[in-house]
Amino acid sequence: MLVHRVRTWVSQPALLLALPAVLAAQQTRTVNGRVTDASNGQPIVNVQISVNGTLLGALTSQDGRFTISSVPTGARTFVARRIGYGTTRQDVTVGEGSPTEVNFVLAPVAKTLEEVVVSGVGAPAERRVVGNTVETVAGDAVSEAPAATSIDQALQGKITGAVISQNSGQPGGGVSVRLRGTNSILGGSEPLYVVDGVIVDNSSEALISLSANASRGNAAISNALSDLDPDDIERIEVLKGAAAAALYGSRANNGVIQIFTKRGQAGETNVTLRSEYSLSRIAKRYQLNMSPYAGYTDVQYGGADSIGEPIQRWDLQDEILRTGQGTSNQLSISGGSGPTTYFVSGGYDYDQGIINNTDYRRWNLRTNLSQRLSDKIEVGVRGSYIDSKANYVPEGEQTQGVLTSVIFTPTSVNQFFDKNLGRYPYNPVLGPNPLDVMNDWQAPQRVTRMVGGFEATAHPFSSLTVKYLAGIDDYRQEDRYFQPPYSTSATFTGSVENPVAFSRQFNNDLTATHVGQISEMLGLTSTAGFRYTSDRREVVRAAASDLQPGQDLVSGATQSASQSLTELRTMGLFLEERASIADRLYLTAGINYEASSAFGPDERWQFFPRLSASYVIGEEPWFQQALGNTVSSLRLRAAYGETGGQPPGLYSRFANYVDLPFSGKPGLVASTLAGNDSLLPEREREYEFGFDAGFARDRAQLEFTYYNRHVKDLVLSVPLPPSSGFSSQFQNIGELSNNGIEVALNTVNVSNPGFTWRSRLSYARNRGKVTRLVTSADTLLDGYLNVVVEGQPVGVFYGGVFARNPDGTIATKPTNLTYNGRDTTVNLPYRAQDTLPGGGLVNASRIIGNPEPDFVATFGNTFDIGKRLQVGVLLDGRFGNDVANFSKRIAQLFGADRSNEAEISGDTTFRVYSLNPNGRSTTYEAYIEDGSFVKLREISTALSFDDPWVQRFGARRLTLRVAGRNLYTWTDYSGLDPEINMFSASTVSRGVDFATTPLPRQFTMSVSLNF
Amino acid sequence: MTTSTHFSSAARAAFRGAARGCLALLVALAATSCDLDLENPNAPPESEVVSDVDGMYAVAVGMQGQFANSIDDYLTTNSLTTDEWGTLSKALISYQEMFTAPSIDNSYLLVEEPWANSYETIKSANTILANIDQLGLGTGLRNQFTALAKLFKAMSYGMLIQQYEKVPITVGSGGAAAQPREVVLDTVLVLLGSASEDMQRVSDADIAQSRARLLGTGFDIRNTVSAMLARYSLMAGEYEQAMDAADAVNPAVLSVFAFPPPTRNPVENLAFQLGYVGALKSFVTQAEAGDRRPAYWVNVTAAPLPANPADSVILPLAKYSSPDDPFPVYLPDEMKLIKAEALARMNEQLDVAAGLVNEVRTQTSSPVDEPLAGLPALPASALDTQDELLAEIAKQRRYELFEQGLRWEDTRRFGNAFTTTPTVQFLPIPQQECLTNTSHPCG
Repeated sequence: MLVHRVRTWVSQPALLLALPAVLAAQQTRTVNGRVTDASNGQPIVNVQISVNGTLLGALTSQDGRFTISSVPTGARTFVARRIGYGTTRQDVTVGEGSPTEVNFVLAPVAKTLEEVVVSGVGAPAERRVVGNTVETVAGDAVSEAPAATSIDQALQGKITGAVISQNSGQPGGGVSVRLRGTNSILGGSEPLYVVDGVIVDNSSEALISLSANASRGNAAISNALSDLDPDDIERIEVLKGAAAAALYGSRANNGVIQIFTKRGQAGETNVTLRSEYSLSRIAKRYQLNMSPYAGYTDVQYGGADSIGEPIQRWDLQDEILRTGQGTSNQLSISGGSGPTTYFVSGGYDYDQGIINNTDYRRWNLRTNLSQRLSDKIEVGVRGSYIDSKANYVPEGEQTQGVLTSVIFTPTSVNQFFDKNLGRYPYNPVLGPNPLDVMNDWQAPQRVTRMVGGFEATAHPFSSLTVKYLAGIDDYRQEDRYFQPPYSTSATFTGSVENPVAFSRQFNNDLTATHVGQISEMLGLTSTAGFRYTSDRREVVRAAASDLQPGQDLVSGATQSASQSLTELRTMGLFLEERASIADRLYLTAGINYEASSAFGPDERWQFFPRLSASYVIGEEPWFQQALGNTVSSLRLRAAYGETGGQPPGLYSRFANYVDLPFSGKPGLVASTLAGNDSLLPEREREYEFGFDAGFARDRAQLEFTYYNRHVKDLVLSVPLPPSSGFSSQFQNIGELSNNGIEVALNTVNVSNPGFTWRSRLSYARNRGKVTRLVTSADTLLDGYLNVVVEGQPVGVFYGGVFARNPDGTIATKPTNLTYNGRDTTVNLPYRAQDTLPGGGLVNASRIIGNPEPDFVATFGNTFDIGKRLQVGVLLDGRFGNDVANFSKRIAQLFGADRSNEAEISGDTTFRVYSLNPNGRSTTYEAYIEDGSFVKLREISTALSFDDPWVQRFGARRLTLRVAGRNLYTWTDYSGLDPEINMFSASTVSRGVDFATTPLPRQFTMSVSLNF
Repeated sequence: MTTSTHFSSAARAAFRGAARGCLALLVALAATSCDLDLENPNAPPESEVVSDVDGMYAVAVGMQGQFANSIDDYLTTNSLTTDEWGTLSKALISYQEMFTAPSIDNSYLLVEEPWANSYETIKSANTILANIDQLGLGTGLRNQFTALAKLFKAMSYGMLIQQYEKVPITVGSGGAAAQPREVVLDTVLVLLGSASEDMQRVSDADIAQSRARLLGTGFDIRNTVSAMLARYSLMAGEYEQAMDAADAVNPAVLSVFAFPPPTRNPVENLAFQLGYVGALKSFVTQAEAGDRRPAYWVNVTAAPLPANPADSVILPLAKYSSPDDPFPVYLPDEMKLIKAEALARMNEQLDVAAGLVNEVRTQTSSPVDEPLAGLPALPASALDTQDELLAEIAKQRRYELFEQGLRWEDTRRFGNAFTTTPTVQFLPIPQQECLTNTSHPCG
């Protein structure tokens, strides 16, 4: 049995061990050590130290130290590894008598093939072995992301090719993540999130519509992931492709994001205390009409008598916006002795939004405990409890929206509190007064949540690992929406809605892995596993109207209630076989056989295969001889996989009956939606290939991937002949494709004592196309302008266009208008029309834009200056995406926009914008703008001290940090923010800016102490 | 280095323990609810609904509701294309086209709704017929279900064939071939005959016992079956059968569809709530002097309403102007007119026919709410030829059976005896049917 030629990979308490273990009881020793950076001598945190041949290991603390107890005496090999540094091994004889000290000095490298990845591969493995793309994000990149209140927000700019947009600037505002394009039409498009092996709920279904109306996809301002604190993250792995995600079978079409939280480390107890203070300000305000004279809409709504007369105006943004303050505090304690390690943390976050009376407050508590029961069995318990409360205001297309009112109302309307009326005046255009909504209405959202699990790992014998995980994500979300009586009109009796959602997701996994060495050249790792998940979501709604003054609970005179319940269960078996040939070529084949309750019994069990190959060609002797001087490492990889997607409704396959009372008696009739018992999962097939190349002794690494995916069996609503008694049915009939490239370049530009500079540049391009709908002429409309048509990407903008002259300029036609009581004729542009075959005209609609970017790019730099200073800058860019500027459309229509000033002063044609009678409001071409942007996503400066004077506080290290988020945006977009989307996480409707709160500029200062 | 084949006894014990543990775990997992057959708790599936009598009652009530809610679909097309109603200025474009144009676009809801709603009703009826025998009910109750289902199925086909030239009979998921009207009318008559036979085994006590749960308020199942049999036998040319069936109908009973709040009478909804339609003034002005029926149907003293096109004169309706007014399934005098027409067409007993016509003309009182003409009787000499009789019957039908959904068919049956022709001959087959029916009924 050979040992030294075979690569061994080492386990942490949760990772997998490979070598024959020494079983007999032996003498043991405690080993200490410290890990420092070769370039500047600074300690390195979170380095994994492991001992070959054992389950033992540790993680270095903030000052680079580690302690491993119970190391069996004798010759041992210690391995130190960490993202961004070269893996280093030391052979040490652990002796009797004095404790052994093992120190490491690690040199910075761009990436390493020995980095261990856990997810998507069945059993943990080094990156070199994995043929499909797995992208990792280090924990401190997430936990130290300035002012990020949620994990998905902290990931912006850190995943190659991922388009991560924060949908609204309200605190706790949700984030929409797209990995490799949009992969469904009626289904969801957000990836699956897994925290420590537990599949967590990230629904963004609105309980109360505060932005987009419930009839339009019902997307909420926030998403459920915003509850999870980014502070406790150890590492994140992103599985973008089908090959990586195939293990998650029928829920993985949009990729999987695996989140791992911190564990304890054996040795000294580490206490970290961090306190942060932040300020938020709006980056750009609406430019409103401040002309001193009245315009057309001021006469219609503002009480002016004639156009051109002097008038007073107000910019209500002065009353609505504020500088928000916030704080984030975190205390974490980790440590362990012998067989027990623990990590405990607690935190409190409070953020004020940039709109008055909006804020977000969160308490969280986490406990991760591991206990080694014997040399063979280890158990762990992980739990976190979150309590969050957010106060929102309505926005977007809601008539009660606060920013909505700013764009809908001419600036000459006085909306301040009227002492003569004793209340806020009604808004002449919408009804509710925005200041009243902001000050007196209530729209809180309260979540209490528990995410946790139990894990047991056993090594019955050396080459076999069995692991069992049971986890739960249980939360209760309660929203409320209180509209006081008489607040929208004189006949409005008030209304309170109070829906409560109970969601519980439970999964358990049992995995067994066997590592075998068949011969010197051939190793085989076999994995088999079983997974069972059970999800349940219940929503109970209560609402009341006819309220008494002062009454804000659901106990008004008129009450209504409803309840809905959805359940989903999945069950799956998977098998995977990995062959490692000559430690150079790795072939993996796996199959996932999975069933979901959403499908009928005949179609329930589905196969999801995957294949991958990884060839570390750079280690071939002939390669090193030929190209070894320029290319220090090269790995070729290729993968193929299939994943599935759940149907849009978990009960879509049933033929249901619905209520139809008649003549005072209860009645039931069949729904006109026919059931479909042969509904299949949407199926994605993807192949990808690429390479990882290192240059200049791995100081630079280039990663390149090309992927090509085809999704078929998309669920669409197919019309049925009415003579069947039905009108439609969900069928698996659509197809789409996404293909593109992802490129990342990591470099260590300078690595000197006293100055280190690393960079990361990424570029990705995706081309999506719908290849099949029910009929090739179908145009499926979602939202306002986004449609799904064959031959185009999902969600292109489709709307009216200007009539044009033969030379391409915009045509105008004379239009009769009344101006100050006189009739006048002006030349105004108008909407183009098409002639129908049978004669007659119809408004013309064309494809006018695409909200998906042509390409995305990020550029991040970190500088380590001297022993104390660290500076990081992250630029996040998106190019070629179009935005539908509905905010501007409405503001111009109602005379509230700065461009309306020109109508009043005569610098542009009268009423070319204001309530334009020529159909300008539906000539959407005028409102599609290029939303390309580069944002200074993060910039931070940190000063660390571990001098003696720090120790007088009792601390080992003090870090002061000053940072900013979204401080600056370079863009030509004329609206407030090209990133926001009124339709939030909607699959098809993207890129719509309609009175949505923009992302604020955030500035933070923090102090951390390590004890 | 130890080899992998050597285990200490401790290791062996540990492995056995672990193996047993794994096995126990798997068994436990299998035993817990790993059942993937979940039901929808929010709405019952068909299998559950038809498996007990409560569900079957609900389906039967739902079926009646479907038909009652589609009355406005039948009436709108029928009354706008003939000389009964006109459109008000608020009316939808499709309504205006039905009123004025020679043809109508098959993508309109106006064209699709009578079709789609009829088939939904027929499908409900089929569900009842297919599943009723599994419940093991007594004949008295079971036959009420089947008779009701056959009746509504027949009424739906009957209404379909008055609107469209050809309609499919089979209700299938891919769509069936459209059948000509003789075939459809045959089916209607077979259904009604079967319903009638079923009703013979149902006693009045049976009806009384289940009425509260099964039948709409005011709906008389026995008389309606006979009335429909009379109506459609006449349409199909089965004159003897029409007369026998008409004789079986009790004139002192009015079978209605009730519309308690929050539902609304469909005519009231169209005419007042939506404000789309009203009565043509020509209905009032062309009546015989002294006829009290125009005042029963139309508010003759009101000012005309703003009409579209502007040259038509529209008066508000009197029937049905209250949202909770019931709508009659048939009017009793229709039976007399059916008998008279049957005799006239057979050219037999013309004096009996004339007598029936005069009964309708001279009626001044009734135990139920129906139009009362209060006209003098016509002398025998005015009604002694077939042509004279048919002309008079046509006229009486106009004023007795206003807005009952029959006039369109009357124009086809009476032909030259009519003074007006409908603006649209038949509704086209709806566009969604043309595009999706695999039998390509539109050619």
